[in-house]
Amino acid sequence: MNSKPTPRPGIYKADSIIDVADSLGITNLSEEVANALASDVEYRLHQVIEEASRFTRHSRRTIMTTSDVDQAFKTLNIEPVYGHSAHTPLSFRRVQPPAGPPIYVLEDEEVDFETVLKEDPIPVPRSVRYTAHWLAIEGIQPLIPENPPPEVPAIADQPANSALVTPPPTQNGSTSSAPADSTARQVARPPSRLVSSLVPSAEERKKTAALTSLRADAGLAPVLPYITRWVGEGVVNTLRREGLEGDEMDLDRRSLDIYLDVLSALLENERLFVEPYLHQFLPPILSILLTSTLFIPQPLAPTPSDPSPSHLRTHSSSVLARLLLQHSATYPSLASRVTKTLLAALVEPGRMLGTREGALRGLISVGREAVKRGLLQASGGKIVSDDMDRAREMGMDTRGVEQALMVHPATDGVPLHPLNDMDDEDRAAADALSSGLGNTLASTIGQDATWAKSLARVISDVSLPS
Amino acid sequence: MVSSPASTNRSQSATPHPSGGTSRPNVRVQTSGLESEGSGAEEDGGGDDEDRKDNETAGSRRTSTRLAAKAESVRNLAQKSAPVVPPTTTKRASKKTNAPASSAGRTSPSSPGGTPGPLSDPNNLSKLADVAAKSAKGKKGIPTRSAPTTVTARDLLSSIDATGSADVNDILLTDPLDNLVGYKQLEDWIDGGLDMYRHEFRPLLFPIFCHFYLELVQQGFKDSAISFFDTHAPALRERHAAELHELSTLLLPQHVSSSPLANRFRSEKYVVRMSRSGFSLLVGWLTEGTGGEPTGSGEGLYGSREGAGRRARMTVLTVVNGRLKFDVTMSNTSSVSSRTWEENTGLIGSLIPVASNLAAAKTVNGKLSTYDPNAFNAQQGDLKLGPAPLSDSLREETERVLKEEPDESGHVADNSAHTNGNGDVKERERDGKDEEVKPFGETPSTTSSGLIAPTTADLLPQPPTFRSVDVKREVEKVRDARKRIKLDPSMLFADSGRETNGFVHPGISALSSRFPASALPSICAYTFHDALDGVNCSKFSEDSSLLATGFSESYVRLWSLKKEKLKGLRSDFNIGQVSDPTSLKKIREKHGSSTRKLVGHSGPVFALSFDPIGGTAAPPKYLLSASADHTTRLWSLETMTNVVAYRGHSNPVWDVQWSPMGTYFATASRDRTARLWSSERMNALRVFAGHVSDVDCVQFHPNSLYLATGSSDTTCRLWDVQRGVCMRVFIGHQGPITAIASSPDGRYFASASTDLSINLWDLSSGRRIKSMTGHTAPINTLTFSACTTMLISGSADWTVRCWDVKSPGGPKAKLQRPGGRVEEGVLPDGALDEKDDGKEQTVDLLATFPTKRTPIINVQVTPRNLCLVSGPYLPPDPR
Repeated sequence: MNSKPTPRPGIYKADSIIDVADSLGITNLSEEVANALASDVEYRLHQVIEEASRFTRHSRRTIMTTSDVDQAFKTLNIEPVYGHSAHTPLSFRRVQPPAGPPIYVLEDEEVDFETVLKEDPIPVPRSVRYTAHWLAIEGIQPLIPENPPPEVPAIADQPANSALVTPPPTQNGSTSSAPADSTARQVARPPSRLVSSLVPSAEERKKTAALTSLRADAGLAPVLPYITRWVGEGVVNTLRREGLEGDEMDLDRRSLDIYLDVLSALLENERLFVEPYLHQFLPPILSILLTSTLFIPQPLAPTPSDPSPSHLRTHSSSVLARLLLQHSATYPSLASRVTKTLLAALVEPGRMLGTREGALRGLISVGREAVKRGLLQASGGKIVSDDMDRAREMGMDTRGVEQALMVHPATDGVPLHPLNDMDDEDRAAADALSSGLGNTLASTIGQDATWAKSLARVISDVSLPS
Repeated sequence: MVSSPASTNRSQSATPHPSGGTSRPNVRVQTSGLESEGSGAEEDGGGDDEDRKDNETAGSRRTSTRLAAKAESVRNLAQKSAPVVPPTTTKRASKKTNAPASSAGRTSPSSPGGTPGPLSDPNNLSKLADVAAKSAKGKKGIPTRSAPTTVTARDLLSSIDATGSADVNDILLTDPLDNLVGYKQLEDWIDGGLDMYRHEFRPLLFPIFCHFYLELVQQGFKDSAISFFDTHAPALRERHAAELHELSTLLLPQHVSSSPLANRFRSEKYVVRMSRSGFSLLVGWLTEGTGGEPTGSGEGLYGSREGAGRRARMTVLTVVNGRLKFDVTMSNTSSVSSRTWEENTGLIGSLIPVASNLAAAKTVNGKLSTYDPNAFNAQQGDLKLGPAPLSDSLREETERVLKEEPDESGHVADNSAHTNGNGDVKERERDGKDEEVKPFGETPSTTSSGLIAPTTADLLPQPPTFRSVDVKREVEKVRDARKRIKLDPSMLFADSGRETNGFVHPGISALSSRFPASALPSICAYTFHDALDGVNCSKFSEDSSLLATGFSESYVRLWSLKKEKLKGLRSDFNIGQVSDPTSLKKIREKHGSSTRKLVGHSGPVFALSFDPIGGTAAPPKYLLSASADHTTRLWSLETMTNVVAYRGHSNPVWDVQWSPMGTYFATASRDRTARLWSSERMNALRVFAGHVSDVDCVQFHPNSLYLATGSSDTTCRLWDVQRGVCMRVFIGHQGPITAIASSPDGRYFASASTDLSINLWDLSSGRRIKSMTGHTAPINTLTFSACTTMLISGSADWTVRCWDVKSPGGPKAKLQRPGGRVEEGVLPDGALDEKDDGKEQTVDLLATFPTKRTPIINVQVTPRNLCLVSGPYLPPDPR
């Protein structure tokens, strides 16, 4: 009701009467007559509209249709106007007469009978059917696709968000506060069943079920903040634990893996509105990606089920890639922010090799452009290369970084052709690589000629302008 | 006449007291204790003419001071100075003079010097001429009627000035400009006054606005009317959007006379409620111009207080005097919410039926019932709201069947004990209720006692013998009562642990347990797809086996919810060959599907009703449908054909409902009547006439003695079905009624209106218990839960909402509102408060269940408290 404009009398102007009279060939209509007629026409129009609105109301609709007006005409004993239906809206054309205000006339389309006959017959509309579902079970709405997802609580303050959230039924913007209250209560308590089935010790079946629920359930919106916080805190706690025994480490790596699974599942869920939580998603992902040690495997052989650190980094970078793929369109600043963090990790002196690896993987998942910036413009390649040299000297494992760099070309199954020193082109590429990336990296990359060449091309592209 | 209170009062006291009951002859005060109806001038004349006559005869009242005051005001008018008249109006007025004046044909249209205002108004001129002629009879030497064209306004004025006739004042005071100024002054006075009185005075603006607007239109001042409307209507829109809209359509005098709303304004009194102190302030302002006015505004803007300002106030007084009726309450101003000031106010004169008992109509508790719905309701006597009795034989048979039930032995014992204890006819009913009431610590007597039980003689005539289906139904009723899921909203607050976290799928286990209880109902939603705006109404049969839907394409579609095939009868059979069930089976159609179209109407179908005879024990045999084609049709669900078309209404039939006993049904129509029919007769048995607009919905009381109707005149009424008279009137909504429901326990009655509120009424007293708000679009349907603890509503805002019937309700505390919604710099004044009152959710809203995009058109609750709703799914972008 609030949105209704105030009614105002005198909408129908005398000019319209004169125009209509003109169209009927009556040119000498006096001002007074037109004035009186305009008032009367307005009154009659309102009468018809008033009558039609009764039919709208009794048809349990909120939008008046032409059929309502037709019924009103019938009831008022006026001859109905035929030929209009709710499904073929009228089109008006603006005509500018030589003098005076513009006139709007009905577009009178000419229909060619032959073409109409040749056209495909209009398909018969589907007949009415019904479906039944539980709108509520003992006062609680089941989280099924037939029901709308519950409203996002509290965080929906920002206008951008509330526009994207399932709109409240009407446009007056006052989302009911009762559901918010109840969901607030739910948020306060952990979704215990979900959490308990997502610990490493839980059954695989349960874990899968929980993840599936995260992936597909529409009703998670109210608990989303909780899950996000749970993941965030979990990751921080796991990474903070230091100096633990091997067993514990395995456990922790596994739980990190699960946290990543959870985030990935949440991102996959099409019915969830995760945008407000993206900034909370990023820290766990980046932490896993960039944490220096990630418990580099000790001599004791890891169990088969135990994910390796580089697996974790790969996993987190793939989650990051998914996140960016889905949301960088709506949040253009997202990718650049992530890149900045990763670049810092890549080039800052004093970082461990693990961090470098993670940064590289992260950059790769951000995109080609980011890799270029990282390795070349920020001379990350050289730094990494130097680091690798140093690490080799200290007898440490550098496979991680090498693998990280191999991720990009993804030449599965195709045998690698190393750069041929005899080939001029190859040599030029090798030179470019070693100048851009340092020797160690260059030789690693040199194992794959195709990749090396493409990288070299990129390097020359970058270095030429400068 | 209108100036008389001013002058007389001045001579008496500076601060008038309204409740004195002695010296306020022309302001009609209706005080609760002291009724001053007796004095001659108090007679409710009705029209202005009579009032004027009144004044002429009441010569004793005319004091010399009064004459002097009049003479002065006339002189003031004649020499109207420029500041009083805005330049634009001068132009307008002179333009207006031409056309209508010539049509009057009695006076010369040329008013000297283009004197604006009243003198340029042809009506006034002709009236002046009349007066002049009258006075000329007494005093020779003034032009008489025989030569009216020679009379100029100034001549008239001078002549009248000399005679000092009272009429002149009246005529001159109809200057439309005074209306404008008067209204502005009143508004300023109200806004400038104390905050505590603002709620109280604000309702006063609307009727005065309406009368001024109508007056302007009536006199042909179309342009001023439009500008007056544009200036002042927005402030009133919040509460009176519908009326304002109707008023805004009236622009010519002919419209005013043909519009029902305008006629009501002109013929009825608008009731305004006011506190004693508020009323005395108002009277003080009207007569003295004191109190609350911003300093100096009276002088600077409207001329001297004695001149134009006072005259403008007089115009307000005219309306207040003739068209308003004050209900002066004793309650304290500050203790009453703004909503209460408007309850039972407005143009309620015609909404209240004329009491059958005239002696009683005069005064009940000192109030005239014509303006007090409560008084009317009180004098109609008590209602028999208890459950309907069963015939002895049927009751015995039912008990016998129940006793034979193997697994319900404990309850059977209960049954027999009760029956032996006393021979109460409602025994079984009460037994059923015992089950539900006991666990809540209530005594069963609160459910069934306190209501007067009707006797068999009170009921509509029923067949003398019962059929087996009756027994089945009654047995099933008892079973349903036993297996009913209790809905107890109080559990919601007591036991917060029940709330699940959203992951735990709350099992249906509670449904299967023997005496389940739940805070909120389970709701099963039936959604229509591909309906394209076409679904007007739908209904579930009581045993939930059938779903019927009425379409705007004039047909009814029937669905079997059990997926059984709906088979009719072949059309090519010989009736003589049908003798037993097998032969009947033979002539059934061979093929069928679980849905079926019933074609017969020639207009949109607006309402449906399944016959209640089978109850929950057997599927219904008949279906009624009401349509825009003026007919109500009876469909046999055996043959799947139309059996009868009941014609009688001369307009679209909006609603139809079977009586709870079957056989009879009621319809509601645009022709402003509701009618009672027997399915066995072609013509209506009773016509319930009295609503002043469409009757939109009908609802039987559960004992079928009474019929409730909801109407577009914003009221609901309760009719005695047998006698056809109105027993109760429920006034309180601000818009047409869209849905009504009566509670299964027979005590309450709920109505929903386009003002988006749901009102809960107490049937026996006819008073409003509370008003519930929260929906954001029209409410299409309402129903009580089977145990009357909950009200469930379905709305076009795509939600189903549950309301607590027993809680006191009321708006939420202001603190609970999310911060930052109050705009900066906006004072929480009356208008804002009102908005809050109307649109905010009240605390008794228990739950809101949104659907995806389905406006709910039907909500029903099964006797076991399972809620069924239906509605068409609206695709996101229909165009």
